[in-house]
Amino acid sequence: MTEKIFNSIVGMEEENALKFAKEYLNDGGDPQKLLDVCREAMDEVGEKFEKGEYFLSELLLSGEIFKGIMDLTLPLLKESEVETIGKIVLGTVQDDIHDIGKNIFKAFAEAAGFEVIDIGVDVPEEKFVEAVKEHNPDIVGMSCLITAGINPMKRTVEALKEAGLTGAKIIIGGGRVDEEIKEFSGADAWADDAARGVRLCKELLGLGVEG
Amino acid sequence: MAIAVSAEQLAKERLTRVEAAINLEEPDRVPIWGFGGEIVAKYAGITEHDMNYDSEKALMAIEKFARDFPFDTLGAGPGGLDGRVFCVAFAEHDDLSPLVTFITGPLHDIYGDKYTRFPGREISENATAQFRGGTFMEPDEYDQLIEDPVGFVAETILPRVCKNLETPRDAMATWVRVGMQLQKSAMQGAKLGEISAKLGYPMLPMGWAYAPLDIIGDFLRGVDKVVLDIHRYPDKVKKATEALKKPIIDYALAYARMGNKYAFIPLHLNEYLSPKLYKEFYWPTLKEVILALYEEGVKSIVFFEGHHEQHLETILDLPRGWGIAYFEKTDVVKAKEVLKDHTCVMGGVPISLIASGTPEKIDEFVKDLLEKVKPGGGFILTAGVGAVPAETPPENITALIEAVEKYGKY
Ligand code: B12
Repeated sequence: MTEKIFNSIVGMEEENALKFAKEYLNDGGDPQKLLDVCREAMDEVGEKFEKGEYFLSELLLSGEIFKGIMDLTLPLLKESEVETIGKIVLGTVQDDIHDIGKNIFKAFAEAAGFEVIDIGVDVPEEKFVEAVKEHNPDIVGMSCLITAGINPMKRTVEALKEAGLTGAKIIIGGGRVDEEIKEFSGADAWADDAARGVRLCKELLGLGVEG
Repeated sequence: MAIAVSAEQLAKERLTRVEAAINLEEPDRVPIWGFGGEIVAKYAGITEHDMNYDSEKALMAIEKFARDFPFDTLGAGPGGLDGRVFCVAFAEHDDLSPLVTFITGPLHDIYGDKYTRFPGREISENATAQFRGGTFMEPDEYDQLIEDPVGFVAETILPRVCKNLETPRDAMATWVRVGMQLQKSAMQGAKLGEISAKLGYPMLPMGWAYAPLDIIGDFLRGVDKVVLDIHRYPDKVKKATEALKKPIIDYALAYARMGNKYAFIPLHLNEYLSPKLYKEFYWPTLKEVILALYEEGVKSIVFFEGHHEQHLETILDLPRGWGIAYFEKTDVVKAKEVLKDHTCVMGGVPISLIASGTPEKIDEFVKDLLEKVKPGGGFILTAGVGAVPAETPPENITALIEAVEKYGKY
């Protein structure tokens, strides 16, 4: 059964994936195992994306399927049982309202085992600072899709420093970031695809990236 | 130098330059297409609110920017966000459908629309206007959209989107107010034309069109939802794009009838879709829109936003010289190889370089780029996105223009 679930996620069969997941849980399947299978499947989807076999349409759909299965699975797991490998505070920068890429990255980061605290769109620097104070994340993720977001991003990096919140690594993502913008803003890493972003997050935390 | 020649002469030179590139020839030098963005207001010391609401100040800012940064085409323009769904609603009225293409600040106040937020209204005076979109149609309504796209949009969607179109009695007043406001915009447009002529910018009368699937994504279902719909209800989505084709062509041709020789078409879902989905759900109807314009003598300027590498070859389905392929993140060197002697390629300079690079870096970049894309003509240089941020150092823009002068000569 888990193989069927894996295959239907990777094969973009939304209905089947949800149906099989439900059946699996109804038949007393182990929710932790289901979570692991989903994670492996999302890994595979990410790989196919990086290889150019899949496109954003597939990332978006797989994110949706993953969310659907998680809605069934998470209530069955005690919070303590959900292992996480790190915590990310994630938001779209000030003046920018694009959130589809952020949401996809979130789905993939969660699938990889990160706890993601999503603070929304058009997030001013103070709100990033507050959220970092409150949640003490390992990583701060900023999504930036418009050029008007470039300066707010730089200001946010500075504001975090000024507030003495230097513990978290900063990664920026979204269609309008590149090496140039990373340097300019003072972030630690950048990615304009979710799969690479998740990989970089693991690297930033010194977590071995196996297969 | 430009100072010696009259504005009229300058406009003619620039037009010849741009047209040569579009016609896949070598002009006297590589043209540089104008851009603007948040920097226009900042450079003139006015707010984004002014840019959107104060016609006089906005024109002053545009003039200042256009004077100080002499591109080959006018880049700066008055504020406004896409409102193509209104064009669909008015598609049966040639004289009106082009006029409602944009939701300007004042029109936003009149409509009370939920698509947009404007500086000094829902957002701060200095924030850029935001198109937020949203979901205004449910999946079970595809049949209605397919059956009667104009009626469905006009009678069902717009009242949902616009607070002031909710009831017929409010709608009456709203449309009268819209008409009055459009009159004012027309005056602003005429003044802009004078400024443009005075500064030696060529007349490139520009209309607009849209990809049918993007109407559904941007204005009806939401961008993410329409991508999921393609997987969930493929037949309905496809039929809906076919149904929307006619109203879109109608409004695009209404522009042509007003004398516009070009049509700008910004694409949204191209980057999202796999080649298979693109060829099935996106390209066929977009292609027909471009061809319908081409047959009427209108050249399209298609803005392939994001990455378009995966779909490059489909452009070859169009007749040679159909228009301009403007690329954002697609490597223009590669694009030019594929489209050589078939399609004029535009783009090339990453916005990040202009926003956060230095004049030296820009000079070096342009030199290197032009070495690769200049030979053979058919290339227009511009920023990957036509909007540079407010804090961009003005000397970077000057450096870009100078570099094209320096390395762009044939
Ligand atoms: C869809 C879209 C919209 C939708 C957004 C819907 C939504 N809820 O997000 C709508 C129609 C509402 C919209 C509105 C606007 N848009 Co828009 N939009 C786009 C478009 C076509 C695609 C963006 C997108 O969703 N890409 C797909 C996603 C999945 O990619 P992504 O965000 O890069 O995310 C991936 C990675 O980057 C990564 N990632 C994302 N975030 C993060 C974060 C971290 C930490 C990491 C590690 C990774 C990561 O994971 C994702 C998956 O791989 C782009 C053009 C383009 N192709 O980029 C324009 C674009 C971004 N929009 C643009 C503009 C101008 C606007 C508007 C101002 C209105 C207008 N004039 O049309 C408003 C924005 C208002 C505002 N202030 O923000 C411009 C921006 C130009 C500029 N100045 O820079 C663009 C570039 C179009 C263009 N070329 O002109 N837009």
